[in-house]
Amino acid sequence: MTIVTALSAAMPRLPICIALFASAATATATAAAGNDDLSDRLAACAACHGKNGEGAQGSEYYPHLAGKPAGYLFEQLRGFRDGRRISTMMTWFVQFVDDTYLQEIAEHYSKELPRTRAADTGADMLTDERRAVAERLVQHGDPGRGLPACIECHGQALTGLEPGIPALLGLPADYVVAQFGAWRNGVRHGAPPDCMHDVANAIAVEDIRAVATWLSQQSNIDSARPAPAGSFVPPKACGSLPHKDAAP
Amino acid sequence: MIVRRLILWTTLVVLALVVVAACVLFARQGGFAPFRVPTGTGPPVANDATTLARGEYLVRLGDCAACHTTRGGVAFAGGHAFDTDYGTLYSSNLTPDREKGLGDWSADEFRHAMRYGVSRRGPLYPVFPYEHFARLTDADIDAIYAYLRALVPSANTPPANRLAFPANSRSALIVWRMLYYRPAAPMSATDRGQYLVEGIGHCAMCHSTRAAGDSVPSKGYLAGGILVGSGWYAPPLDADSLRRYSSSELADFLRTGTSPHGTVYGPMAEVVYSSLRALTAADAASMADYLKRIPPHAPPDMRLSARERFGGNSGDFGNNGAEIFKRACAECHGDNGEGKGGHYPALTNAVATRAPTPINAVRIVLYGAMPPTTPGNPRPYSMPPFAQQLSSAEIAAVVNYIRRNEPQASRVAASDVEAMAGIVLD
Repeated sequence: MTIVTALSAAMPRLPICIALFASAATATATAAAGNDDLSDRLAACAACHGKNGEGAQGSEYYPHLAGKPAGYLFEQLRGFRDGRRISTMMTWFVQFVDDTYLQEIAEHYSKELPRTRAADTGADMLTDERRAVAERLVQHGDPGRGLPACIECHGQALTGLEPGIPALLGLPADYVVAQFGAWRNGVRHGAPPDCMHDVANAIAVEDIRAVATWLSQQSNIDSARPAPAGSFVPPKACGSLPHKDAAP
Repeated sequence: MIVRRLILWTTLVVLALVVVAACVLFARQGGFAPFRVPTGTGPPVANDATTLARGEYLVRLGDCAACHTTRGGVAFAGGHAFDTDYGTLYSSNLTPDREKGLGDWSADEFRHAMRYGVSRRGPLYPVFPYEHFARLTDADIDAIYAYLRALVPSANTPPANRLAFPANSRSALIVWRMLYYRPAAPMSATDRGQYLVEGIGHCAMCHSTRAAGDSVPSKGYLAGGILVGSGWYAPPLDADSLRRYSSSELADFLRTGTSPHGTVYGPMAEVVYSSLRALTAADAASMADYLKRIPPHAPPDMRLSARERFGGNSGDFGNNGAEIFKRACAECHGDNGEGKGGHYPALTNAVATRAPTPINAVRIVLYGAMPPTTPGNPRPYSMPPFAQQLSSAEIAAVVNYIRRNEPQASRVAASDVEAMAGIVLD
């Protein structure tokens, strides 16, 4: 390639080059620590989860990764590798990846801004009656069934809790429904005690779709981060995370 | 009267010939010796730190854990399923549990099983690469035994094999051995590279084409072939096919999984991740040196199951491959598939491009790839999947474009892409 053609090929990318140059100063410190931007390496992830883990436009299934707690993302990646969570495609990608790189990938996505818009604007409308059911379960749970409210663990704003509880905003409804099915059927496991297994078994099957649809219609316009670790204590025992029973 | 006598004599002669042939074949598979499994406790083997370290290293190079562990299961506790044309086999428990594992085995019995493929359970199925392990020195087999003895016992019970007749009968294995098994003598370890490749490394289990009864004949030895059932093609290992690697590049490739000429994927990614990344620099150099000295074999006919067949001369091959390549591939792999920046492999001479079958190319385009993490490549670059973005016709078109210099008969049609779809994980 001659210099002229090389230059002309580079021309359309000039604005990107300038932007890169502008951020180069801040990037140098992290790059020196071997922490350069991972997104070039993670093209495989971007195909379904978006370039910055924001979720794919128009996706009906793939969850966003951006801004979820690193501890949560790391546990999911290890789960796919070690068989605690089943997704053929995810296992295919992570099966020969060690903890060190999985941790780095988890931290990479946890630092991205959380997705800001509702995932599923195309999902079925909720009737007033189903909407009321969903809102009641999200806000208050169903003590009669031993079902805690979503907000008790995932936070008042449903933006999650560091280090291990994910946000529930802007997840595709089909994805949420599929996770409830997976917890019920034993193909998705959390570290014991598996709190979501209990929750999925406590909720009435006919209410899962209503809650999932309602959640998918919520957005996070302020890109709010998960609540800081220890800022509240969830009521249910859940893996290695702090919870009320274990609190002094 | 004469006719009856003739029939009688013919029958007797034929019977005698059959018996003689059976005796010859039985003798050629080693006679009774393979079936004389040592009993009793036998003499103890050394289990000092040096021996255990040597055993651990050999167990890594033999990749015992890959077959004798389930996903997320206890290492070496068995139960990994192998789907074969004959049914499903499950690997055994190698931990020293007295009931479920090898806790009761003497060093002599272990050595016998590694050498002859026969244990107290009878003849072992040839998915266990005993024809390769037979070539190890006694000292190496004993070190492996010592290491396995030192594991924490697990009472995991692998499921019973589910095999169709006649493979479900261990006696059928005696017939198989008469036809296809010939005892191999232990090798001297003077050519360290050959010793590792043909012995503990058992490279030929994947890099050869199998003939009748899934045996590995000398004709197809290391000549490359389809890994039946898993949907991948393993390239030949010889001076010709490895010409593009210098010896040091090949040695690095074995340990890191990546090179200027390509990156490991599919089953080889697992081999590098769970085995070869532990190779010492000296052993990697010996293996590379030996592999590059292997004289090329004529490629044998490929055995293709339904999902591995491809179109050849009929079907929809697509004619917009160049345009799809420009849109989907060129940004990383370069406008002419020349590769970019060391992280994006060249496609020009890649195995997936030059293989006699398009199956690897199809599967990488469909499902993408993440190379294994290794000390030499701790943060691999990944290849995105295109199954969601491109139709089967588009995938066929772009694969045929990348492989446009290969024989017309190896073109892939849209319908073949659909037949090849599906990820086989274990």
